[in-house]
Formats: sequence, C-alpha cells, structure tokens
Amino acid sequence: MIFRAVEDADLIARTRKGDIEGFNLLVSRWEKRVFNYLLRLTGDPDDSMDLSQDVFLKAYQNIRKLDDAGRFGPWLFRIAHNEAYSAFRKKRPETAPEENFFERQTAPGIAIDLSLAVRGALDRLSPEQREAVVLKVYEGFKFEEMAEILECPVSTIKSRLYTALDLLKTELAPANARGGR
Amino acid sequence: MSTNDNPACGRADLVRDYAFDELVPADRHSMEKHMASCVDCATELDRLRLTTAALRVLPDVEVPRRIAFVSDKVLEPTQSWWAAFWNSGARLGFAAACVLSAGLIFASTHRQPEVRTIVQTASTSQAQIDAAVTRAVSEAVEKTHADDARLTQAALDAVDAKYDTKQRELLVALQQSYAFMQKQSQMTAKAAYAQ
Repeated sequence: MIFRAVEDADLIARTRKGDIEGFNLLVSRWEKRVFNYLLRLTGDPDDSMDLSQDVFLKAYQNIRKLDDAGRFGPWLFRIAHNEAYSAFRKKRPETAPEENFFERQTAPGIAIDLSLAVRGALDRLSPEQREAVVLKVYEGFKFEEMAEILECPVSTIKSRLYTALDLLKTELAPANARGGR
Repeated sequence: MSTNDNPACGRADLVRDYAFDELVPADRHSMEKHMASCVDCATELDRLRLTTAALRVLPDVEVPRRIAFVSDKVLEPTQSWWAAFWNSGARLGFAAACVLSAGLIFASTHRQPEVRTIVQTASTSQAQIDAAVTRAVSEAVEKTHADDARLTQAALDAVDAKYDTKQRELLVALQQSYAFMQKQSQMTAKAAYAQ
C-alpha cells in the first residue's frame, strides 16, 4: 500500500508537470474501482461509465489542488461521491431503471439465489448505509478515508456501516445458509 | 444500533473494528485474547465474516471501455495566474513591452538635449512643410488640368480628322456620281442624234 502510494504520488507529480501519460496511468490504475463504486451506487452501467469519465476529467483539471499526493484515492472517491449525488439530484425518482444491473450479475460457481439475496439486501439499505458498505467491504477504505470521502465524522460512518451490517446479517443469514449448501 | 444477537459483553463495535482491521496493534492483541474466551464475541466475528463473504459474491465488473485522455488545452489542469501567464503567448508581448518601455525611459533620461533640438526643428519646419504641401497640391492640380486639356484636345483633333476624312470621301463619291451621270447623258444624246 505504501509502495502504491509512492507510485501514485510520482504519477501525480508527472501529471502536474503536464505529462498526460502519467495521468492516463493513474486512470488505468483506478478506473475499475471508481467504475464499480459508481455502479454499486447507481445500478446503471451507462450512467456509471459517464460518471467515471466526468470523475477523471475533474480529477485531471483539479489535480494541482490535491494537497497530499498520498491521499489521491480518497480525494478521487470524494469527487466520485459528489458526481454520483449530483447525478441523483438531477435525475427524477420515477426514471429509475426497471431492471437492476446487479440482478444479472452473478459470480461463477456461486448460487444465484445468494447473489440475488445480496443485491436485494443492499437495495433495501438507505443510500448512506449502502455507500458505507460499498466503501468499506468492496473498496476497503479505512474509516478515516471514508470520513474524508463522505465529509462526515468517523462516528457517523461507523454508525451507518454497523447498522447496515446488522441488517444485512439478518437478511442474508437464510440465503447464506442456502448458498453454502 | 446493536441487535439481540450482539455480544452481551458490550464489545460488539470492537469486534467489528477488529474484523475490519481498524484497531491499533495493542487493542487488536487485547481483542484476540478476549475472543479466545468470549463465545459471544467469537460468534459475532464469525457472523460478520460470513456476512462480508456473502457480500463479496457480487464480483467487480470490468470497465466497458477504457478511459483515456489526450493532450488538449481545454482539459489541462488549472494553474496559478502567474504560471498560466508565463506559459502563455502573452509572455512574449509582455517582454517586448518591457524592453520598449525601458528603451523609452532610457532615451528620455539620457538624450534630452537632442530630443529638444529635434522638437524645435520640427516646430520651425512646419510652415515649410505646409507650403511644400500646398505647392505640391497646386502642381498636381495644374498637371491634372493640363493632362485633361491635352486629352480633350487630342480627342477633338481626332474627331475633326475623322470628319474631314468623311467629307473627302463624300466629295469623291459625289464627283464620281456626277461624272457617271454626265457620261450617261452624253451617251443618251449621242443615241438620239444617231436616230
């Protein structure tokens, strides 16, 4: 992780000097994580792709404002969070996709009902709880980094996450048992 | 926040912090010792790990198409006003203006007497310049008038010459007609005399 942070810092320095290839390397390193984060928030691949493009464009344009190059990840996800919520505000509630993308996504070798149960359980969380789960479980951010991304105290983050996990634990217990059979 | 399944010892949040590797080494070691003897906390840790494992059955998706940037002025990162100015084409203009200003200041401070002479000379020759301009204008007007008169005269001469030529041609034609008629009447008179 430290080695990775140094590498990111080097690419950021190159980008700041006008080397666009340095930024393209950063993009290739982070695009999958950003895209999947946005996909888990929006549930729409096309929207997530467009948002990802906007996220990296804003990151490129504002890279000189990043004070600590070692915090590129949380800073990038902060931009992604803002872009996603800005899109949510613009989008009318009734235009939600009829079929959730994740309902078609199952891991190979895993019982389909477990995947569907996970997706359904995540959908029943509040957006704030779901985002906390995504950032922690799927993206592996530390609480301090999550607080930076979501701009709220660590205590709030922990409250959202642990409440969500209690709900998920209850919801997934039967499906987990079936998936494990 | 806690549910009925949570440990009775009240360390549910610590178990979760432990599960997510958010404890400092000392607390982590302390929790490991606690969970070795607390069945509730150990069970809670197992449930938590089972839940997160279940969540991870949703795989990461590959990005549908690559995101890449090309060098484009519009997309370039924002920079300070000085850096933006220094990297722009305005830098050359600014440098040229500075050199010009420095030259003017130097000239005004070090060559003042010469400038005064030049200014004086310029002020006394203004009348001469005006007279020269007036004279040049008059000459140009006269020359234009002369040219016009010459051209008009040439045109009139040409018309007169053409008129004279026409007159001569007409006179010749009349003479020829008169001669022809005279000849014809003589022939008629001769024929009548013969009869």
